Amino acid sequence: MKPAAFTYHRPATLDEALALMSDLAPEAKPLAGGQSLGPMLNMRLANPAHLVDLNDLTELGRIRDLGDAIEVGALARHHQLADSALLSEHCPLLVQCAQSIGHYAIRQRGTLGGSLAHADPAAQLALAAITLGATLTLVRRGGHRELAALDFLQAAMTTALLPDELLLSVRFPKFAAREASALRLFSRRHGDFGIVSVATCVALDGDRVSRLRLGVGGVAPVPQRLDSITRPFEQQRANAAWVTAVADAVAQAVQPEDDPRIPAEYRRELAHTMVVRALDSALQQLKKTRP
Amino acid sequence: MNEQRITLTVNGRNIEFEAEPRKLLLDALREDCHLSGTHAGCEHGVCGACTVLVDGRPTRSCLCFAIQMEGHEVQTIESVGTPQKLSVLQQALHECHGLQCGFCTPGIVMTFEAYLKDHPEPTEADIREVLSGNLCRCTGYQNIVAAIALAARRMREASPHDQ
Amino acid sequence: MTSEAFVHIGSHQPRKEDARLLTGHGRYIDDIVVSGALHACFVRSPHAHAEILSVNMGAALDMPGVVAIYTGHDLAQWTTRHRMAPPIDGLRAMEMDTLPTTKVRFQGDPVACVIATNRYLAEDAAEQVQVDYAVLPAVSTMWQALASDAPRVDNDLPDNLLSHQHAVHGDVAGAMAGAHRVIESTFSQHRQTHLPIETRGCIADWDVGRQHLNFQVGTQVPHPYRTTLAARLRLSESQVSVVSPDVGGGFGQKIALYREELTVAAVSMQLGRPVRWREDRMENLLASSQAREDFCRTRVAVDAQGRVLALDLEIVEDFGAYSFYPGNYLARVVAMIVTGPYRIASYAYDVKVVLSNKVGNGPMRAPMSVTSWVMEGTLDAVARELGLDPVAVRRVNMLRPDELPYTMATGEVLADVSPNATMDGVLAAIGYDSLRERQVQARAQGRWLGIGVCNVVESTTYGSKFYKSAGIAGSGHEAAWIRIEPSGAVNASVGLGATGQGYETSLANAVADGLGVSPADVRVLLGHTDIAPYGMGSRGARGGTAGGGTLYLCAQQARTAVLAIAAHLLGLADAQALRLLESRVQQQVEDRWQDTALTLADIARVAYLDPLALPPGVSPGLEFHLTYEPPPMTYSNASHACVVEVDGATGAVHIERYVVAEDCGTVLSPVVVEGQQHGAIAMGLSGSLYEHIEYDSATGQNLSGSLADYLVATSHELPHFELIPMHTPNRSTPAGIKGMAEGGVMGAIGALSNAVNDALAHLGVVVNQQPLTPMYLRGLIRQAQQNTNKAST
Repeated sequence: MKPAAFTYHRPATLDEALALMSDLAPEAKPLAGGQSLGPMLNMRLANPAHLVDLNDLTELGRIRDLGDAIEVGALARHHQLADSALLSEHCPLLVQCAQSIGHYAIRQRGTLGGSLAHADPAAQLALAAITLGATLTLVRRGGHRELAALDFLQAAMTTALLPDELLLSVRFPKFAAREASALRLFSRRHGDFGIVSVATCVALDGDRVSRLRLGVGGVAPVPQRLDSITRPFEQQRANAAWVTAVADAVAQAVQPEDDPRIPAEYRRELAHTMVVRALDSALQQLKKTRP
Repeated sequence: MNEQRITLTVNGRNIEFEAEPRKLLLDALREDCHLSGTHAGCEHGVCGACTVLVDGRPTRSCLCFAIQMEGHEVQTIESVGTPQKLSVLQQALHECHGLQCGFCTPGIVMTFEAYLKDHPEPTEADIREVLSGNLCRCTGYQNIVAAIALAARRMREASPHDQ
Repeated sequence: MTSEAFVHIGSHQPRKEDARLLTGHGRYIDDIVVSGALHACFVRSPHAHAEILSVNMGAALDMPGVVAIYTGHDLAQWTTRHRMAPPIDGLRAMEMDTLPTTKVRFQGDPVACVIATNRYLAEDAAEQVQVDYAVLPAVSTMWQALASDAPRVDNDLPDNLLSHQHAVHGDVAGAMAGAHRVIESTFSQHRQTHLPIETRGCIADWDVGRQHLNFQVGTQVPHPYRTTLAARLRLSESQVSVVSPDVGGGFGQKIALYREELTVAAVSMQLGRPVRWREDRMENLLASSQAREDFCRTRVAVDAQGRVLALDLEIVEDFGAYSFYPGNYLARVVAMIVTGPYRIASYAYDVKVVLSNKVGNGPMRAPMSVTSWVMEGTLDAVARELGLDPVAVRRVNMLRPDELPYTMATGEVLADVSPNATMDGVLAAIGYDSLRERQVQARAQGRWLGIGVCNVVESTTYGSKFYKSAGIAGSGHEAAWIRIEPSGAVNASVGLGATGQGYETSLANAVADGLGVSPADVRVLLGHTDIAPYGMGSRGARGGTAGGGTLYLCAQQARTAVLAIAAHLLGLADAQALRLLESRVQQQVEDRWQDTALTLADIARVAYLDPLALPPGVSPGLEFHLTYEPPPMTYSNASHACVVEVDGATGAVHIERYVVAEDCGTVLSPVVVEGQQHGAIAMGLSGSLYEHIEYDSATGQNLSGSLADYLVATSHELPHFELIPMHTPNRSTPAGIKGMAEGGVMGAIGALSNAVNDALAHLGVVVNQQPLTPMYLRGLIRQAQQNTNKAST
């Protein structure tokens, strides 16, 4: 399984990279960690005429504290996110998601930008971006723009990226003082893409839920954030009955596709179970931090 | 064929050769660098047999191109030990019968030579978690896990200040 | 040939192979550099079943690096067709082209072979080969294959039934009629593939000057492979050398001569240049042999205590499109040994093997893997129906030691097995009674624990008598030679094919103990047909018994000759008081052994360089050759026990504990045997839970073309295996050696399924198919819960 031939470009700066993308689009594909694109190239499922290698643009790999948000560069590797003290403190869901990606070796190379641009429906970082309400900065020769994660991820394997555009960085809002998160991902084996994944962030005010963010992956072509479903559950007391009610509402709301190997009913049940377990985990963490 | 001259730094030596940009690092190591210890098991990043170190980090050599690695340090299994002098991890695998056909072994050694440097006290669960990125069809993994735990213990005993 | 004082056999010897394998200095096929070698790449059918209308290679031939492109018509001129027609009742003969000429029979069927200067360019060219197909309806399941209006997979056969065998022993009908109960169960095992981490590959080098083919290939059976290869190429056997280097796993996939390898050899002859091929993983999943797709149905007649009065077994096997092996072979073994360690005199079987538009089958480690699941699952069904404890049902049916040797209904003789001991051993080790209590407590907390037990009787070391009685042309014998060099170094060889079993070490043990030297002084040569004696290779767990046994006997022969010379040189009447220990000749003087002045090197020097000093009538040199015929079948046995927890909400299975009590006779190398067990159990568990070659039931498309689809268990999914060794030597093999290496697969499949059933017993759920995916289990649980809800409303 050898890839088809391509012309290789290795820009030293972002400007160079953008110039190449502009000149060569739509025949150019950016190459970051290669953990998703590599297999496609080897299997000849992707045959770009030009590959633009972004790996020398190390300035795109930084994680910065912006005050009210954390900015993660597109070229930050999964292991950097997984080990980041900054993220652990201010946006732990990202850490939980990054830790769950693939395997140790994959996490050394794979990048946040690569994962988001690839837009696999089951990808954890896409789920995290949607759940956290992240803002993406896209750049091309001549300017940049910002998009909400919800607008960036359009369909399975499809994003709003223009043919000559690169993802530059992603901004994640910081957690509130008493907020905890959990990821519950159900897969056949450890490290596989989730069949259904649930990411949640729960903030408490006293014993009432002041904010509930919840995202579900695997029940639609892109991860879904179900604000309209979860909002009614804010300002309520967090207990077992509440957890079940949220799970019931989510399970009813999602419309997974039916497949002979994985029936829609099964995905729906998984969504329910994963919501319960994720919420339980988040609430358990909050119990421990009770003032 | 658009072959280009590529210079790689492999196991501390500079090696120059001509190859197309699409030539996988895996194939360049095996053919152009004459280092056949790194093996092709799947060519889509799942089995881990092709794992080498790039700048000290485990990397699937089937998922990158040789040309990408110019300016980086590549280490393969041949840099770890020799038949006359095995590394601590290799010796442990030998004593614990942690290999049978040996085809997946170099990928496992490379992964853990790196991992144990950063994580000197792994639990069995940690080991199994990291090892899950390497497929073995012969051993059922048990002896490999035991070997890695033994190697970690011996490395700690050899340099107690790291504890 | 039983209890001997072994020095090295049975002791832990770190492997000689490790030094090179650990450091990246192994030599697998793809590592071998052959200058000027061309690379082959196959164009493969995208359709499951289609007529080949034309193959257009004009554009491809013009591409850079391309030397030639060949089709089935070329191969038809250079090779014979493959005729698979052993004289077996109920088996139809099949004849197959080397590469298809008229139609393709599975997605991945090789249609053309591109030869280029490297693999990258060959793949580029292969993409440009235009093949016109007329798509035909595909046979994608065994039931479709059996339908009266099914499309024919092989146009030369009247239908898709390749083999049909049935037999009745004892009075099955009578027993069924008079039984307290007749209980029916079904077991559907799914299609799997061997998945060695090293895919197939070969290097063919035709020496035009000598008219000789040097063929390097990773194979488990070098000599039979050479015989077949020479015949297919219309060469004399002397014109072919097969050399097998280090091999990255075989598991049964690297036995037959497949079409691709034969093509590469033929092309090398045509071009007069070396040609090589390495299969990639996608090809391995699409077009390398597959296995295990069996449907089994049992009907068992029992009395009120669960005693089996008669057993009826029906098997249907989906064999794929081509006969790489005789169609009856795999299923036949299942039928023959299914009764295992149980007392069942009345037994009938009906085995059908059908063709389908999938890649052809090959024996996969424990080809009879479904056996234990079927027998043990049947007994569990008896227990459920009669409200008895599953262990009690096994005990009442299990052969007692005083009943051995026991002749099974099918004529197989069980001797030197210890099923009662291993079952007792594993139940004690797992704490069966307290587990049952724990299970009740857990269920009260909403956690579903299950305990599964599976007793295994593993057939190994198939002897020639087995083949004869099964109607298969083949021999179970093995051949060895041992040469003691003038310096006292020992070279030995046997006809096995190493694929990771540590033969270099364990066989050295056998020679060392048989002769009286240190294993470090023994070099074992394997895999080169010009060097090794003609043997039957490695399969069916015969390495230890057949290979080790032959070498041990040959080494004993060598020792007798060496000591006779020593006696003569020492001026003794005979060698009765002499022995060889670590290459030193010792003499017994008043109950104590003392070194004499002689070493093995001294004797060898005389034998080679001073033959006039040898005893009268003794020829010069120290080279010995021996063949050995093992008993028709050697059996080892084990009992597996597995504790699982099933997550009722998701259907996920977690294996909490796995214990095996195994009796594999005298063990050549305990550490090697343990490793084999781990690997076999892992393969069985992985297969039961994850691995599945899926073909689309409508189009016949192979949906499992990558390792993202064909899932294999990793270190994270597998439990720790606790092994309790129990060694009853086999009285009729050299050194009491038995075979092993496959029983772990059988036990794992049965123990896991039985454990899952036990976990779900309170819902009345019974699994009867694999893999045990979460979706499947959750579906059964959901249905059962809905039925309960309906019943209570």
